[in-house]
Amino acid sequence: MESITSVTLRSLYISSIASLIAFSLALAISIALSSLSRRRAEMVLSIFEIFVGFPTIVIGVVLYILFYPRGPLGVLGILYTPYAIIIGEFLVALPIAVTHMFRYVYELKNYVRELVLSLGGSEKHVVKILIRELVPIMISSYLLAFSRAIGELGVALVVGGGIEGYTNVLTTAIALQTSLGNYEQAIQLGGVLIAITATIAAVLKVLGEYVLWRSS
Amino acid sequence: MEIELKNIWYSYDSYTYVLKDVNLVLREPGLYVVVGPNGSGKTTLLKILSLIIKPSKGSVLVNGRDFWVLGDDEKSLIRKSIVYVHDKPVLLRGSVRYNVELGLRLRGEKRGDEVLEYISRYGLREVLDKPVNKLSAGQAKAMTIVRALILKPKILALDEPFTFLDNTKVKLLIEDIQRIVRDGGIVVIATHYMYRDLEDISKNVIEVVNGEVATLSSVKKNPTL
Repeated sequence: MESITSVTLRSLYISSIASLIAFSLALAISIALSSLSRRRAEMVLSIFEIFVGFPTIVIGVVLYILFYPRGPLGVLGILYTPYAIIIGEFLVALPIAVTHMFRYVYELKNYVRELVLSLGGSEKHVVKILIRELVPIMISSYLLAFSRAIGELGVALVVGGGIEGYTNVLTTAIALQTSLGNYEQAIQLGGVLIAITATIAAVLKVLGEYVLWRSS
Repeated sequence: MEIELKNIWYSYDSYTYVLKDVNLVLREPGLYVVVGPNGSGKTTLLKILSLIIKPSKGSVLVNGRDFWVLGDDEKSLIRKSIVYVHDKPVLLRGSVRYNVELGLRLRGEKRGDEVLEYISRYGLREVLDKPVNKLSAGQAKAMTIVRALILKPKILALDEPFTFLDNTKVKLLIEDIQRIVRDGGIVVIATHYMYRDLEDISKNVIEVVNGEVATLSSVKKNPTL
C-alpha cells in the first residue's frame, strides 16, 4: 500500500497546479469584468455563481466523456492521468476563485483609480497601487481555490481512477481505504486532509482580519 | 486656472443620466458651494470638475483646452493642480503615515515639516504609525483632508467635508479653506450645511436638482436646504 506521505505530496502537487491555473484565469476574468458596467458584470458573474455549487461528480463525468479514448478529446490520451485531475480540479476551483475575487477587484479598481487621480497620480500609478492593494485578495483567492480543489472527490475518482502510485490523491485514497475496511488508514488520511484545509482556513481568517476593513 | 464645463451629461449605467446638460465656469479664486438634495448629482459634478471621471457627453475645458483629448502626460500635469476629497474616507492598506504621504509620493515631492504641522494641527500625530483601519471615522476624515491640504492644490474640491468631524476640526478646516481662498485658490465644496464663517467668502452657490444646475447665484447667502 502507498505511503501517506506519497499520497499527500501528490495531492498537494496536483491541487497546487490546478488552483494556480484557476487563480490566474480568475484574476484575468475579474479584471476583464471590472471594465464592464456593474449590471453586465453581475450578469456574467451569476454564471460563475451557479457553478460554485455544481456537483463535482458531474464535472468528472463530462470530462470522462470528453477524454474517453473514443471521445472528442480522446486523442490526448490523458484519461486516468494526473493531467486529467488537474483539468478537473481547475474547473472545480475556477468559479469560487472568480466569485471571491471579482467584487474586490471591481470595488478596488474604481476607488483606487479615483483616489490616485485625485491626488495627482497617473494611470501607471493606479495600476501599481491597485496591485499592492490586491495582494491579500489574490492570496486568499488562491487559497480558497486550493482548498476547494484538494477536498473534492468526484473529479479525482472519475477521471483519475485512484491508481496507486500515479493518480491516487488524498480523497480517492480515503474512499479506497474505507471500501477495503482499512478504517485506521482512512482516518489518518482524513486527518491529513483536515489539517491542510484547517491550516488554509486559519490563514484565510488572518488575511480576512487584515483586509476586511477595506472591503466596505 | 479656469475650468469650464460645457453641456455636460453623465450616466453610470448608460440608461439614466445623473447630470443633464450642465454648464459651469470656475474662473475667479474663491469658495464655490454646491448644494442640492441627496442623489441630485453633487458628487458626480465634483468628480467631473476634479477631472477624475470623464463625462458621457460634453467638454471639460481647462484654461480653454479640452482636458479629455489631451495626452496622458499633460493630463497628469494638470491633475496636480486639483485635489478631490471623497465624502467617505478612502483609505489604502497600511499606516496613517503611508496614507497621508500618498499624494506626495505619487508626485515625487517631500515636505517633511509642513506635513508634520498639518498632522499635529488635526490631532493625528499620536496615530501616525498606526494601521489606518484603527482610526475613528472622524480621524479618517481628518486624515483624508490633511492628505489633500499638504499638496497645496490650486483647486481643492471637498465632498461633504464636515461630515464625521468634531467642532474643533470643523473650525480648523474652515480656517484652512479661508486661507486658501485668501491666497488666491479655488475651493469647491458640496455640503448640506453652510457654516456662517464660510458665507462671507463664498463666491457662488450652485444648486443642483435632479442632475441639473437649478440656480447659480453669486450672492452671499445661506443656502437653506
